[in-house]
Amino acid sequence: MSSSTATSTHATTVGSAHPLAAHELAHACGAEIGWVIQLVEVGIVVVPERTTSPEDWQFHSADLQRALEARRLERDFGVGLEAAALILDLQHEIRRLKAALHAQGLLRP
Amino acid sequence: MDFKDYYKTLGIERTAPEEEVRKAYRKLARKYHPDVSKEPDAQARMRDINEANDVLRDKEKRAAYDALADRVAQGYGAGEGGRGNYQPPPGWDKGFEFHRGPSQGPADHAEFSEFFSSVFGKGEHRGAQNRQYRARGEDHHAAIEISIEDAIKGVEREIVLRSLEVDAQGQPAFVNRTLSVKIPAGVHPGQFIRLAGQGMPGHGGEPAGDLFLEVRMAPHKLYRVDGRDLYMTLPVTPTEAALGAQVHVPTPAGHVVEVTVPPNARSGLKLRLKERGFPGKTPGHLYLLLDIALPPADSEAARQAYVQLAQAAPFDPRRHLTTSGV
Repeated sequence: MSSSTATSTHATTVGSAHPLAAHELAHACGAEIGWVIQLVEVGIVVVPERTTSPEDWQFHSADLQRALEARRLERDFGVGLEAAALILDLQHEIRRLKAALHAQGLLRP
Repeated sequence: MDFKDYYKTLGIERTAPEEEVRKAYRKLARKYHPDVSKEPDAQARMRDINEANDVLRDKEKRAAYDALADRVAQGYGAGEGGRGNYQPPPGWDKGFEFHRGPSQGPADHAEFSEFFSSVFGKGEHRGAQNRQYRARGEDHHAAIEISIEDAIKGVEREIVLRSLEVDAQGQPAFVNRTLSVKIPAGVHPGQFIRLAGQGMPGHGGEPAGDLFLEVRMAPHKLYRVDGRDLYMTLPVTPTEAALGAQVHVPTPAGHVVEVTVPPNARSGLKLRLKERGFPGKTPGHLYLLLDIALPPADSEAARQAYVQLAQAAPFDPRRHLTTSGV
């Protein structure tokens, strides 16, 4: 057994202060930037209307989560991105409702 | 750490063709997906199913896994414990769940076991190093579970990435890499923490990828999470609910605040402590759900007090009930 210790000095929270650029979102998902453009086109991730160029796009944690989920649906279930968008919306609604029920003490985690 | 039978996990034979792997995975994923499954162990089963699928759907990984399974069947373990018995040091993965990164194309966001990361983690690592092209290293994904208090205040945690490497003698050996991670104050569930350069190494002199840690909240005995808001059940006595009261409530930031319970409060009434949830640009709130707790009538004096209350304040909580249907 060998081991090494490294202290990370570059921990940032993905969010408004440290967003991901389009190429970084693509890289995090093992994809090309064209795939991120498709995500925007089908509405899986949303960018402000005024930012038409992918270079201007900024993504937060929720976008990364949806992009990763979409990638998995594509790969493991062979679904198209339009169908993935619908599945993700339904999934989001289920999670929101379950979280609300749990918060009210009406559902076990 | 036990050897994992991925074929058994998916309920297929070792000779199953690729299409059968895919069908088995999809069928089980629908049954155990935690968002829809009623099975009590759905989350753990889904993790196992994802892990098995990740290996068996990939020709290269499947071949490596089959070879490993043969070695184990012959009595040779791939781990240091030998004979298929993997014995990692205790607590190495405390507070940390391993995820596979999006290597070789599509990303993967499922959880994976110690067994998987030990056997396949470094295999991907070496494969990446051997490729003859220039490219930034792949990003890695993991999840880290922290308490609500730590999320609000920030915390420093050590995580251990464990992998199997072949040493100079050609023997497999475990290698631990410890990272000290400073979780910033104010993170909330679902956020990702990015550790620059802690993903897979780059190719041809290009920089390493990043490690993304998804923040998850550990269950809490007092607070329940809904997005950036927190909920807490606040027990009050019937007297406090009827007459109103000032009660003390602990907040997740470690403070105790005084809260006014209004007179004639009903059970289930929701009180909001503004911006006492998860902090941030749009801070969450702490909601208190009133729960009227009855004093037990376990003494003669208490029973008499209930009788006197009934006489002093006649009250029929069923007066609105009717059998007429209107």
